[in-house]
Amino acid sequence: MTHLQSLAASIRVIQNSYKMQMAENVTRNTFQFTLALQPVLFTLLSVGIYRFAGKPDLSLYGIIGSGLIGMWNANLWTSGFIVQGERWSGTLELLLATPSSLMVVLFGKSLSNASASLGAIFITFLTGALVFRVPLAIEDPLGFFVGLILTLLALTTLGLVLGTLFVLTRAAGNMTQVLNYPIFILSGLTFPITTLPLWTRPLSWALAPSWGSQALGQAAGLSDEALMPAFLWLIVLALIYFLIGLVAYRRIERIARAKGGLQEF
Amino acid sequence: MPAILVENLTRIYETTTGVIRRKKKEITALDEIDLTVEAGELFGLLGPNGAGKTTLTKILATILLPTSGTVRVLGMDAVAQEKELRHRLGILFGGERGLYWRLTGRQNIQYFADLYRVPPAEVKSRVPELLELVGLSDRADERVEGYSRGMKQRLHVARCLIHDPDVLLLDEPTLGLDPVAAREIRGIIRGLNDQGKTVFLTSHYMFEIDALCERVAVLNKGKILMVDTPSALKDLVADLEVVEIECLGAPANVLEDLRQHPRLQDMRVETREHKQILHLQAPAGSELVQEFLQILKEVRVEKVITRQPTLEDAYVRLVGEEALHI
Ligand SMILES: Nc1ncnc2c1ncn2[C@@H]1O[C@H](COP(=O)(O)OP(=O)(O)OP(=O)(O)O)[C@@H](O)[C@H]1O
Ligand SMILES: [Mg+2]
Repeated sequence: MTHLQSLAASIRVIQNSYKMQMAENVTRNTFQFTLALQPVLFTLLSVGIYRFAGKPDLSLYGIIGSGLIGMWNANLWTSGFIVQGERWSGTLELLLATPSSLMVVLFGKSLSNASASLGAIFITFLTGALVFRVPLAIEDPLGFFVGLILTLLALTTLGLVLGTLFVLTRAAGNMTQVLNYPIFILSGLTFPITTLPLWTRPLSWALAPSWGSQALGQAAGLSDEALMPAFLWLIVLALIYFLIGLVAYRRIERIARAKGGLQEF
Repeated sequence: MPAILVENLTRIYETTTGVIRRKKKEITALDEIDLTVEAGELFGLLGPNGAGKTTLTKILATILLPTSGTVRVLGMDAVAQEKELRHRLGILFGGERGLYWRLTGRQNIQYFADLYRVPPAEVKSRVPELLELVGLSDRADERVEGYSRGMKQRLHVARCLIHDPDVLLLDEPTLGLDPVAAREIRGIIRGLNDQGKTVFLTSHYMFEIDALCERVAVLNKGKILMVDTPSALKDLVADLEVVEIECLGAPANVLEDLRQHPRLQDMRVETREHKQILHLQAPAGSELVQEFLQILKEVRVEKVITRQPTLEDAYVRLVGEEALHI
């Protein structure tokens, strides 16, 4: 096989992992429920709090933050549970026995979950508009769309990296709980990171959701800063996460072979 | 070049128990094994629970590393050349697991076609061919969760053939199937071997090995006790005859008395519903039936027959009575 053919084959694996995951998810009620209900609740809470505190100008910020929380939740949950699910169905071992790398398979599946979670953003805007009469106006729709796609990629790759923890542990559920809140607080999805202590700033910068929130906020018209720096950061972070993932999953495949599978749960 | 060449293979599992004071425990699943399977052969590995069959299958499948020793499949090193090798191995683990139940049968095999990097043009023709081969064409677009065990197992067979592998590694392919479904699977396996595929098959059913395999290895507690043809295995007990006594509620002390009989070679007790079936191996022509019945005089005996030894008796003689604990 030439490099080009092998690349094409890898892309097919991503595509089909994406499709299969989607086909499976469609049949899962809990998945749809989490995806649809959570953004509504978060929007009601966050925008409600800003209103109550007499800061209705932060409504749009609250809506975008809630949408990103929804996306991030769906992402982390599902990235963690993809591996767990493969374990339960006994397919993880068969995946490991194929010539395709685990990382490529999981990337396709995570991307699939992540793009389903895009719906979260639309749901939060809709909730904002219907409940709080926040106008659906977005100043720079194209910038917003590009920001959304880049955020999606960065969230997926970050989910993959954190997913390595799930591969090696049986406590995937607990792990999501532990990781979830700190990450969206550090990323400024609940309240602006400027309200956090200064020492947390580097952590925020290393996390894709902060840049996603910034890019989307700017595109929606919350500030006049240029979009490019946030876009660049999202791309750089996505690449870094992807590389970390590649190294990590290679290691995991080696551990799996040495130990006799990741089959026990 | 043999299809499978195993030399001096040992696999030790390390497990830890306890949370605070961790204790390491080592389990030797395979103990210095040597094995050769020729290309095109249908080779059987027979062994009781925990013998190491799955461990050996996984090592051949490149998903488990040996602790020591060498393993070459199709001339390639199963440790270092795993990526190339995987394209040419078809792997099947018996049982209901290992399928995406929420997807259809067709989606399941199509997905594995991509994972094995089969060119799309080939997938198009091969998927319907394989569905036909395993008799699932009509039900291919239904979700797997609605399949019977036999259908799931046949889907497994189709899945493991999607990349047209040269060597099939089948770990208990008829596990948990009813006799009819098991016979269908065996028929398919025989057909694949006729087409020239090398088949390495594990089982704990003697008749399965007897019906299918040209050669058989008997594995017990990680050691290979014998490698030969099924009929050579039967020769182990050629000088014996078996007295089969069907009885009800024979007490342990009576069974012990039987066991102590000086001319008895081996004895195994099979419990079937409320009955016990005693298989007593004695030298051929020794005519011990009356003596056995004398020991059992207090017990209700329903049927007594004297028969030729089977492969099963040979296996029991080799491995011991635990051979049949399933
Ligand atoms: N991942 C593991 N960690 C620790 N011990 C293991 C592991 N897998 C298998 N073993 C042990 O290794 C030995 C051989 O197991 P193996 O599964 O290979 O046997 P088997 O012949 O396939 O048995 P069965 O007929 O029950 O499938 C057993 O004692 C088993 O408990
Ligand atoms: Mg086994």
